[in-house]
Amino acid sequence: MCAIAAPEVFGSDEIGNAKILISGDVPEALHAKVRRAESNCPERAITITE
Amino acid sequence: MTDTQKPVKDMTTDYDIFDPEFVKNPYPGYSEIRESQCPIAHTDRHKGSWLPTRYDDVVAIAQEYETFTSRQILVMPPAEGRVEGPYAAVGAPPITSDPPDHHWHRRLILPVFAPQAVAKYETSTRNLCNALIDEFIDKGTADAAADYAQHIPVRVIATMLGVPLEMEPEFTDWVRGVLENMTDDEWRMRSFRSIVEFFLGQVEDRKKNPRENDLITDLMNAEVEGKKVPIEYVLGVCQLMLVAGIDTTWSAIGSCMWHMAQHPEHRKQLRENPDLWPTAIEELLRVYAPVTMARIVDHDIEFQGCPMKAGDRVLMAFPAANRDPRQFENPDEVILDRENNRHVAFGSGIHRCAGSNLARLELRVALQTWLARIPEFELVDPSSVTWAGGQVHGPRKCMVKF
Repeated sequence: MCAIAAPEVFGSDEIGNAKILISGDVPEALHAKVRRAESNCPERAITITE
Repeated sequence: MTDTQKPVKDMTTDYDIFDPEFVKNPYPGYSEIRESQCPIAHTDRHKGSWLPTRYDDVVAIAQEYETFTSRQILVMPPAEGRVEGPYAAVGAPPITSDPPDHHWHRRLILPVFAPQAVAKYETSTRNLCNALIDEFIDKGTADAAADYAQHIPVRVIATMLGVPLEMEPEFTDWVRGVLENMTDDEWRMRSFRSIVEFFLGQVEDRKKNPRENDLITDLMNAEVEGKKVPIEYVLGVCQLMLVAGIDTTWSAIGSCMWHMAQHPEHRKQLRENPDLWPTAIEELLRVYAPVTMARIVDHDIEFQGCPMKAGDRVLMAFPAANRDPRQFENPDEVILDRENNRHVAFGSGIHRCAGSNLARLELRVALQTWLARIPEFELVDPSSVTWAGGQVHGPRKCMVKF
């Protein structure tokens, strides 16, 4: 789900588990997408630290 | 009198998942239970079960796999007398597995369903959808469930497994025998045996005539800790592919077709703004989640005030959870660009659907292909639409005209 909402930030590994594609702070332009990924994750696996 | 012939007195103490009205439209019943003093209902019908309807309860049960085990996952217990013969113990791993085996049972099949792995089925799925539409587009009418939705997942799954596509009618019949006719023990048992015997034949054939690039072959060659996986695992995964990969996705596609036939404004929205597709698919999955899964209680426990006993069956009604107003604003409304949508159409926790990426792809391609070629259509007669329910909810006859 996160990879659909914010493909620039989230992807999946070879078994389909989610992984983060960037390191460090999320660029401001992607904040909205990442918030959407967080609020749509059915496993509540994403935490945003500000 | 069978359990389904007695009138339901009270949804919270006597619900009937096979009641014809409930099968057709379960949402008012779920809502009645969810908003009552007793949001986890109980029934003695169909060998007894609990029915949580609130999002938080359903998710908690899905997460607590040690208390709510996957020894059985169907909404009715297995047919009496089923445990006979050499392959009677074949389950449907990993869905019927508990830890610790669950880990490798699931790990082995995950690569097959990773997003990048299922992407390669997009073109063939689109071609398949187009071929189905070719069959009826000139007639001006079609059964969106039986002529279209029903044929899509079964052929995708048969292709993945490397089994003959011509056997589609048998596969469909077996899956319906297992999932849609649970009160008919004899049909269930016969369907289960047919599936196991068929895949056993496929395995034997591959031993004599080795093949490449199909899932059955990959499973036969799979190793865990240096040892080939047991035949029961191979047969079990094959059974799961059929049982979990066909009826479910076909039901979701069918429900979405039924919805689109009645909502020209949503067809227009998608036509004018194709960027909506990703959220639209999630929203349709939320509202038309087809699957309810069961759990077996491991030990006596009081859960949200309900005295659950070891061995009790709990039905995780994901379709009910997905319409809980505590979790979703205006839950019965389809909002194609819904912002917050933590839906559980694919379950939650360690048993979360392994094939979700494939299901999403099939659903999106099926809808896009239809809407591109048949942008305007409507139901012939809303009252003539028939539904399956219980384990899997979706239309079985859905005539549309265009």
